[in-house]
Amino acid sequence: MGKNNILKTIPVDQAVGMTIAHDMTEIIPGKSKGPAFKKGHQVSARDICHLMRMGKNNLYVLDLDDTQVHEDDAVFELAAALAGPGVEFSAQPHEGKLELRAAYPGLFKVDAEALTDFNMIQDVMAAAIHTNTPVSKNQSLAATRAIPLVIDRSELDRAVALAKTRYPVFSVKMFNPLKIRLAIVGNEVYDGLIQDRFQAIVEEKAAALGAEILEVAFLPDNQEKITQQINDYLQKDTDIIITTGGMSVDPDDVTKEGIQAAGFDRVHYSSAVLPGAMFLLGYKGKTAIMGLPACGLYHRTTIFDLIFPRLMAGETPGARDLASLGHGGLCLNCKVCRYPQCPFGKAV
Amino acid sequence: MQDLETLVKGAAKAHGHLCPGQVVGVRMAMLGCRLIGLDNPSSHEQIKKIIVYVEMDRCATDAISHVTGVKLGRRSLKFIDNGIMAATFVNLETKKAFRIVSTESARDLAAALAPGIQDPRQQQLDAYKIMDETDLFDITEVRVNVPASDFPGPTRFKAVCDNCGQVVRDKREVLKNNQILCRPCATGSYFEPVKGDPHGQK
Repeated sequence: MGKNNILKTIPVDQAVGMTIAHDMTEIIPGKSKGPAFKKGHQVSARDICHLMRMGKNNLYVLDLDDTQVHEDDAVFELAAALAGPGVEFSAQPHEGKLELRAAYPGLFKVDAEALTDFNMIQDVMAAAIHTNTPVSKNQSLAATRAIPLVIDRSELDRAVALAKTRYPVFSVKMFNPLKIRLAIVGNEVYDGLIQDRFQAIVEEKAAALGAEILEVAFLPDNQEKITQQINDYLQKDTDIIITTGGMSVDPDDVTKEGIQAAGFDRVHYSSAVLPGAMFLLGYKGKTAIMGLPACGLYHRTTIFDLIFPRLMAGETPGARDLASLGHGGLCLNCKVCRYPQCPFGKAV
Repeated sequence: MQDLETLVKGAAKAHGHLCPGQVVGVRMAMLGCRLIGLDNPSSHEQIKKIIVYVEMDRCATDAISHVTGVKLGRRSLKFIDNGIMAATFVNLETKKAFRIVSTESARDLAAALAPGIQDPRQQQLDAYKIMDETDLFDITEVRVNVPASDFPGPTRFKAVCDNCGQVVRDKREVLKNNQILCRPCATGSYFEPVKGDPHGQK
């Protein structure tokens, strides 16, 4: 749509009922400076004197018919259609754009295919951070806008209908208050040769998601004792069991065997993520188990940071999820880690 | 806006009694409205421009509501349960917002401002009427991002709880374990059902 078709110059005394095309700033010397009339304001009879006092004899107005929608009205409809549970947005667009934010902490989910289809519609757009990102309350998640100043009603309706059909395009899954128990495996810690550091790391990462570790056990590299401990945790109404250490290929590393002997329904060993290739993920009934390799002691961010939030959000990622993480699964070991604001683990 | 005495009298009548909290609330509201540029917030022209966030459910809250005209049912009064004698006044049109906190030190100053009065309650009541705003309050200009789902006006957003079928308004639903749930179903509630209510089965 051509800008010239909709922007008209109107003498101010004939502008009643028309829509102002841009913000109109008023300066009262020594007192204030700000928009006296905002873009999109419909001129009423009592505005005329005010506009004349501001020295306006003519106005740019939008001459819209029923088939046209101003960008500020359009973006509200777009945001309302895109924002699923846990996603909120301001009522006041800024430069035609509305930002979508997290209403509570959780796991941000994007229906990426739906988002692409939405963006294929002419004259609308939405951009978001990656799916599966753990987010805090009020965190910015996405933004949307209509591209032109005025959008055709039919295009807007098409975009809104698509977003509603594929609802929710954007959502935040709440983290569950899960019961988590930890088993720290390794002769060197068990025998007191070195001090454990895994407990603090796991506790900190759990706390970041609003969770706490209910119990911690220290075990030697002994398959029988590992199995016994895991069975004990399983009997105690545990949602997530985390083991640390003993996941490598050394002859002493028997944590994987200890987990398998406890009889899990599904066990996936290895992930397409570095650091975290020798990660184990398994399920038995409602209980998930994660076997963390020792890389978690050195690297700030590992496969654990990618899978743990998903378990907390009630998801049960499987072998294909672990495999698909390969695309974007290489941590660059930056001097200052900015995860999750980085490409690590952002496979869709 | 009416004068302090008239507003305090009106607030006391609306609330049910006259107390220092009424005076603090009235003065907080008068100051808040002045700071965000609304001289008659209850008027037809201004009523839709104001939202007030109160951080306590005590006497001052009713006084603020009386002066400004904001009401919970109009969605212009928001209760944030912080237990702090504070309120934030937001002009939705200009986005100007100020948070005003009642100072604890004002209690000590009251004795100096009303030395002839023995009853501490009456002493505060009289002193708070004449105390400098800067002694009575800490004032901070703030930014408040009011979500569309918190705005006054007709209900724009509705969802249905996958667990109990309850309609949830204003985007208060949550997504938990792939179910859209009302908050009582998702996180429990303040009540305990006597028997058979789905909200009790968490």
